[in-house]
Amino acid sequence: MKISLTVNGRKKEFDIDPMKRLLDVIRDDFGLTGTKESCGEGECGACSVLMDGKPVTSCIVNAVHADGKTIETSEYLAELPLGKLLVDCFDETNAVQCGFCFPGFLVAAYYYLHNDGEPNLEKIKFALSGNICRCTGYIKIFEAVMVACQRKKAGEL
Amino acid sequence: MRFFKPSSLPELFLTMENFEGEKYFLAGGTDLNIQKKKNLLQDRPVFYINHLTELKGIRELHEDILIGSLTSFREILDSQLLNRKLPFLQNSLAYFASPLLQTMATVGGNIANASPTADILPLLLVLDARVKLLSKSKFRELPISEFYLGYKQTILKSNEIIGGIIIPKTAETGFQTYYRKVGSRKALTIAKLAFAGLKKTEQNNIKIVKIAVGALNEFPRRLRKLEELITGKYTEDLKSDELRKILESEITPITDLRSDSDYRFEVTLNLLLEFLEE
Repeated sequence: MKISLTVNGRKKEFDIDPMKRLLDVIRDDFGLTGTKESCGEGECGACSVLMDGKPVTSCIVNAVHADGKTIETSEYLAELPLGKLLVDCFDETNAVQCGFCFPGFLVAAYYYLHNDGEPNLEKIKFALSGNICRCTGYIKIFEAVMVACQRKKAGEL
Repeated sequence: MRFFKPSSLPELFLTMENFEGEKYFLAGGTDLNIQKKKNLLQDRPVFYINHLTELKGIRELHEDILIGSLTSFREILDSQLLNRKLPFLQNSLAYFASPLLQTMATVGGNIANASPTADILPLLLVLDARVKLLSKSKFRELPISEFYLGYKQTILKSNEIIGGIIIPKTAETGFQTYYRKVGSRKALTIAKLAFAGLKKTEQNNIKIVKIAVGALNEFPRRLRKLEELITGKYTEDLKSDELRKILESEITPITDLRSDSDYRFEVTLNLLLEFLEE
């Protein structure tokens, strides 16, 4: 089936299996390996990307769902002002250990920071509740996002 | 795999006519893709429907709210209309799956997948929702309580799809509402059990009561015998032993990887008591 989609500003048209996972399209067809596969069942959030601005787990989204849509991955978001702010805050609080889950955390945190951004711990926890990290105890991750929200609110961005 | 992406609802029904028997419908894909990953998909045609705008959105009708079957849980949670008219339904679904899955998962999918633990079902049951089923030239409407026939079995015919859910605008009006989903964590949990209740009381006398549970039978259901026992009684006159006996006859909790039958039963009884005393 003919499918066209835009990933990180690059538009491509393919003739591919409509059931192919969006995750595989991003990694294999676009060569973007920042988006990770972990559980493969939508439960861990490692494969999160934004589709038309909304966060989805790309391991259970099919190519046909993405037809005509705009996809933004962690590589792209990390270069935007709010993404850079988040990466700085993750660094400062030492939130990252092995790092495998982090592209997903960046996408979920970016979505929250961009669309709400209130420095409220309960809301931040909820926004990140679809992402699992097996190294840390989440505290430093929440801290990082909290600091990013405070800085955004203070008008640093 | 035979895969179809019809351009409209009429075209979907036309294409479906060429295939007897069971079909897969790909909406948000949050259930179907798990089955695919586990190699559980059988050789059946797949119909992609998620782009059919005819079945999307939340609309206000004369006396009801219509939720199209392809409405996502994100749309439910963001809806101003539901916030005004059915806030209990909206608030109770905040912990549906996870914020990431809420983007794709659809109401119709949650119903059609026919899981005994489907989150939206206990809520729809106490709100007296009706389900609209569409086929090529007909539609029928029936109470959601009549949609399931057995474990993973529904009343849907092979030429039918779920068009939407219809809920009376006043379904929550004047009721005290109660919803608990019991799982091992808040997000991304499959319910060990779920309990939804509505009641109207006057000076402790329970005038109207509606109770539905999930994950405690082959499919989510209203507990009519329990409702009958409770209606017209004063809260203080309801004996725990009596409630226990009726509950034993109405739910059949099982032991599986998520919980065991004793735990499920006792927690249900405790939630029932909490609901009645609140």
